[in-house]
Amino acid sequence: MFNFLPMPATITDVRQLTDRERLFTIRLDNERILRHRPCQFVLISLFGIGEAPISISSPPVDSGKTFELCIRSMGNLTNAMHKLSVNDKIGIRGPYGNGFPIEKIGGKDILIVAGGLGLAPLRSLIKYVLQERGRYRRVILLIGAKRPGDILFREEISEWERDPAIETHITVDAADPSWTRHVGVITGLFRHIDIDPLKTIAAIVGPPVMYRFVIREILAKGVFEGNIYLDLERRMRCGVGKCGHCQINGIYLCQNGPVLSYLEARKLQEAL
Amino acid sequence: MDVTIEYTHIDRFIRGLLSHYDVIAPVARDGRFIFDRIDDPAAVSPQYDTTLLPPVKWIYPNNEVLLEFDLRDITKAAVIAQGRPQALTFVHPCDINAINLMDDILAEEPSDANYLTRRRSTVIIGYECLGPCKENYLCFDKGCHITYKGFDLFFTDIGGRYYVHVATEAGREIVEEDGIFKKAAYDDWVDLMKARAERKKGFKKVIRGDMEMLSHHLKEAYHNEIWDIEGKKCLSCGACVIVCPTCYCFDVSDEMCPDMEKGVRTRRWDGCQLRGFCKVASGENFRKDAAERVRHRVFKKEVYLKKRFGRSGCVGCGRCIDYCIAKISIIDIFNHVMDRVRENV
Repeated sequence: MFNFLPMPATITDVRQLTDRERLFTIRLDNERILRHRPCQFVLISLFGIGEAPISISSPPVDSGKTFELCIRSMGNLTNAMHKLSVNDKIGIRGPYGNGFPIEKIGGKDILIVAGGLGLAPLRSLIKYVLQERGRYRRVILLIGAKRPGDILFREEISEWERDPAIETHITVDAADPSWTRHVGVITGLFRHIDIDPLKTIAAIVGPPVMYRFVIREILAKGVFEGNIYLDLERRMRCGVGKCGHCQINGIYLCQNGPVLSYLEARKLQEAL
Repeated sequence: MDVTIEYTHIDRFIRGLLSHYDVIAPVARDGRFIFDRIDDPAAVSPQYDTTLLPPVKWIYPNNEVLLEFDLRDITKAAVIAQGRPQALTFVHPCDINAINLMDDILAEEPSDANYLTRRRSTVIIGYECLGPCKENYLCFDKGCHITYKGFDLFFTDIGGRYYVHVATEAGREIVEEDGIFKKAAYDDWVDLMKARAERKKGFKKVIRGDMEMLSHHLKEAYHNEIWDIEGKKCLSCGACVIVCPTCYCFDVSDEMCPDMEKGVRTRRWDGCQLRGFCKVASGENFRKDAAERVRHRVFKKEVYLKKRFGRSGCVGCGRCIDYCIAKISIIDIFNHVMDRVRENV
């Protein structure tokens, strides 16, 4: 049985990531623990304004009792969220969605492709994989952003770039004079990587236009359709498969997704 | 247990209901019929065509309050799930079939507490259709002009009196308390059978094809030209989905008291035919063409719900045809698809 009552929660930290995005650290009140999987989402509730679905950016085990949400100031709720600060109260429903099938990827090479705000949900997977690093073979991370100033989690990316445990490649569509790395769309990065197609699991999150092109690159490398996972975006309003906004053909993405394999997604005409 | 009641006792019957329930009944309003809460038995019209909104909307109301909150302490927010005892009376089989489907949809886990609370405090008194109630109907093709479950009492007009099938304990309590119901005799049953034999002559099949195959044919017709044809006509007003007895899409929004401290979170009906239904904050609209939305409405009823619940989401009431100002008709859409299948075979 489901009702719409959110769990009370407290903002414990706020960090400015870019001009538009902030990272909020949230703790559920009454010692509740979220218990989420990578790539699940929550519904943030601000009474008087409403609710909005936000991906969880932190891995499940991070310090146990808090979780992080990377929020772009974009609409009514997210604009209001950006006005909040430490100790302010919010409501949380969730976690919702299936999350990334982490039980299926042990012993594999993990290729993670993050376009723009796609890094927000994928950060939960990246950090999870790095925490459990011994269970995987190579970890390859491709990051794309419009401009250098739009890149999220810059300090962490610098750490990942120095970390031999993860191969990090980053590109921007439009560089500025100080930019020293790749320039061009994210598919251009595939020229710089070699992958073992039979051992690779891919995870892709980005703007809607990105999926087709990235999937084409990964298929061209010989990866099986069922080993390519997409975390899709739709208007998750209720989170419980009722309100209809996130429906893609016959499925409710908030329940059967947001993570679908390309094998599943290509059967849904409305998915990509 | 079956009983009968004379026409002349219907007033007393409704008065009896009023002492236990909010009575929701078909009443004439502005040249058409609606289901409304009544307190005068004289207002009830047992003979009606199809109401503007289906009776299920009394179980799944618009602007339903889900939560109450106070901004001074949001941790005190509380769930509101109300369920006043209500009796939906003289409900046609199509609408009962629709409620049965809504029960299945909203009881699917995670089940909807607000709907189920209201549903449990609702008794349903069905009213048999002995012929089509209006011009636009496909209930006969859908097999939804009759129903075998989903009611507490079921009335059939057998001339001068109603034959009443008592289906539940709540129904039994209603007929026993009043003392105006008589045990059904053999002659009553014979009259019931006669009325039903007449019924078979009244309804006509309007879809030119096998309804069992409709879902399959539609899947084959995903890229059929019909969606563009109908999409060009569609004004995206959403009337079809608001009057539909199996549409349940909703949006959630907050409303503040003028004191700007107390407020409520409400659920209001939403519709997949509206332009912004699938639009996300970035501006991306995942179903931006009317053609895609029209197709989604038809597929949701005939393909997606059918796959999940084993039966079509359309009960054939014809409301979406009656209230479409662009004259889009699912009968025409189905026939177009069926004709195309025949041409191609």
